[in-house]
Amino acid sequence: MIRNLFQQAARILLVAVSLSISGCFLYGWMMQDSSLEIAVSLPGGDGRPESADELEKETDLEGVFTWFADLEKEQPGLWPRFRGKNFDNICQDGPPLASKWSEDGPAELWSVALGEGYAAPVVQNGRVYLLDYDEELHGDVVRCFSLDNGRELWRRFYEISVKRNHGMSRTVPAVTESLLVTVGPRCHVLCLDPENGDFRWGMDLQREYGVTEPLWYTGQCPLIDDGAVILAAGGPDALLVAVDGMTGDILWKTPNPREWAMSHSSIIPLHLAGVKTYVYCTLGAVIGVAAEGSRRGEVLWEVPWKARVIAPSAVQVDEKRFLVTAGYGEGSLMIAVVQNAGDFEAEVLYAVSPKEGIACEQQTPIFSQGLLYTVMPKDAAALREQFACYHPDGQLIWSSGPDNRFGLGPYMLADNKFFVLSDDGVLTMMARSTEKFEALDSRRVLTGNEAWGPLALAGTRMLLRDSQRLICLEMGAESGEEG
Amino acid sequence: MSQVNRRDFLRVAAVAVGSGVALKASQPGAEATVWQIDPALCVQCGRCATNCVINPSAVKCVHSYPICGYCDLCGAYLQPAAKTRDTGAESQLCPMAAIQRTHIEGVYYQYTIDEELCVGCGKCVKGCAMFGNGSLYLQVKRDLCVNCNDCAIARECPSGAMHRVPLSESYLLKTDPPPEAQG
Repeated sequence: MIRNLFQQAARILLVAVSLSISGCFLYGWMMQDSSLEIAVSLPGGDGRPESADELEKETDLEGVFTWFADLEKEQPGLWPRFRGKNFDNICQDGPPLASKWSEDGPAELWSVALGEGYAAPVVQNGRVYLLDYDEELHGDVVRCFSLDNGRELWRRFYEISVKRNHGMSRTVPAVTESLLVTVGPRCHVLCLDPENGDFRWGMDLQREYGVTEPLWYTGQCPLIDDGAVILAAGGPDALLVAVDGMTGDILWKTPNPREWAMSHSSIIPLHLAGVKTYVYCTLGAVIGVAAEGSRRGEVLWEVPWKARVIAPSAVQVDEKRFLVTAGYGEGSLMIAVVQNAGDFEAEVLYAVSPKEGIACEQQTPIFSQGLLYTVMPKDAAALREQFACYHPDGQLIWSSGPDNRFGLGPYMLADNKFFVLSDDGVLTMMARSTEKFEALDSRRVLTGNEAWGPLALAGTRMLLRDSQRLICLEMGAESGEEG
Repeated sequence: MSQVNRRDFLRVAAVAVGSGVALKASQPGAEATVWQIDPALCVQCGRCATNCVINPSAVKCVHSYPICGYCDLCGAYLQPAAKTRDTGAESQLCPMAAIQRTHIEGVYYQYTIDEELCVGCGKCVKGCAMFGNGSLYLQVKRDLCVNCNDCAIARECPSGAMHRVPLSESYLLKTDPPPEAQG
């Protein structure tokens, strides 16, 4: 009996001690700081300055002119601006081109070293014009070469500080019989006499219009239309400006009440709903500005578009529809414009991501015989970097397949053949087909990297570049053709 | 002629076998191999983060500064739909906030990987490959990898990017010269 009582008391004591110890542990644990060591990610942790956009010091745009030689022999052919004579990147009435190359590929007629970048040339009256960047002298250089032999005829230099930021130069000039216009990476516009390089006028869009320079410098290519230079200023006071080509006087300005910003895209004149319209992709909206009549310079319609980076320009599909596209995950919009007694309305017919439909990151698609052709961007899933053909309604017709990818490279259509240059300098020729990918030939023509500058074709001479070299190839049917 | 006793025979045999093993080990073909990811084959599927027997994974993101563009708009750092280019959590692509972004000058930013936080998911690698120069890529860290005979990541890798390499070349760096240039 006493023994049982003793055992029971021992059990109670044991439980009491256990509970006391547990209680102490629990109390101690509860008294600990319960917060975890979490670093909160807040804006401003990168030390971004108040204004990262450093305004370039004022420069004398007339700069320094150097004459080297007269043009000795004029080669035929015209490629007067970004996307060629008709803004479509198609050489419509050129001579026949070779359908197959000899073992050595198309003959390289000449080459010149360039500053790092993607700027591409234009051609007129046997002269090749290109806005280069001189890394040693720190300035933009308008250079004029002979199309015949690549000899530099003259150059005009103005001082501008540009640091390597995915290349330095990146625009295509525009040329007419009396005007040569360039837009530099820091938004400097220069107008020269195309024959002798005489200075006509210059303009600093940042200084004069308060433009915010796009990321990686501007890629805007100038437009000359009926003697006026049309520029996307993208500043608070003016969205578009028209400048008299001969005098530099401002002809009209398009207001910018919502302060849409400049993109890398270029202004393209399209005929939509019966009216000639300047179509431009701002950072904020796609806009149509009247290009003729009493409303010239007035915004006719707008479509909000929140793409962060836009490099391609608008492509006309028919008298109502046009396509705009952008990379960096954005995709494309097919837009229709209708007119009702002077009032214009723009409607998005479809919007697709790069995984869903047609897109392009750097170059502008080509519309030919009712179909759209493009090099798909890197975020297009299985179609990434493939050359693809789409119906304007959105259906994929064909693509070049996983064995034929072209990076971000440029492409053009001439003599019923597509020419596509890959990032690393392989030029592929393919038949214009509405049914399937049909490669005709392929050759490495450049050895450098980032061959992203748009192609130019004058007569049978094709101009191509990688990041540091411009070459001229003979593409004619007689030279280099096999069989 | 003296007879070799059993003890001497065993001693000589042991020396011979030991020498043979040492000789074999010194041959080039006998070098130990380790697992590594070929950046050219990697498709950033994310399985390195979830399949490694080590938790967090022995696979980490590495950064090649000579290849980096130091962009303000960085596809590896920022969410594709980020409204602002800043360091707010809502803007960052990395689920672990393992990339540190620092302003250098003008429009240039430096990106540094915090290896302690990185889980090898490859989201930043994919973003860099799509929108940038491809300066970020995945590598197996030798100090973390236990070099399983049957690597659990290699078993699941959809592109065959994980394979054995000689120990002396245990990292496949994008800045290495191409094989044909190595002579």
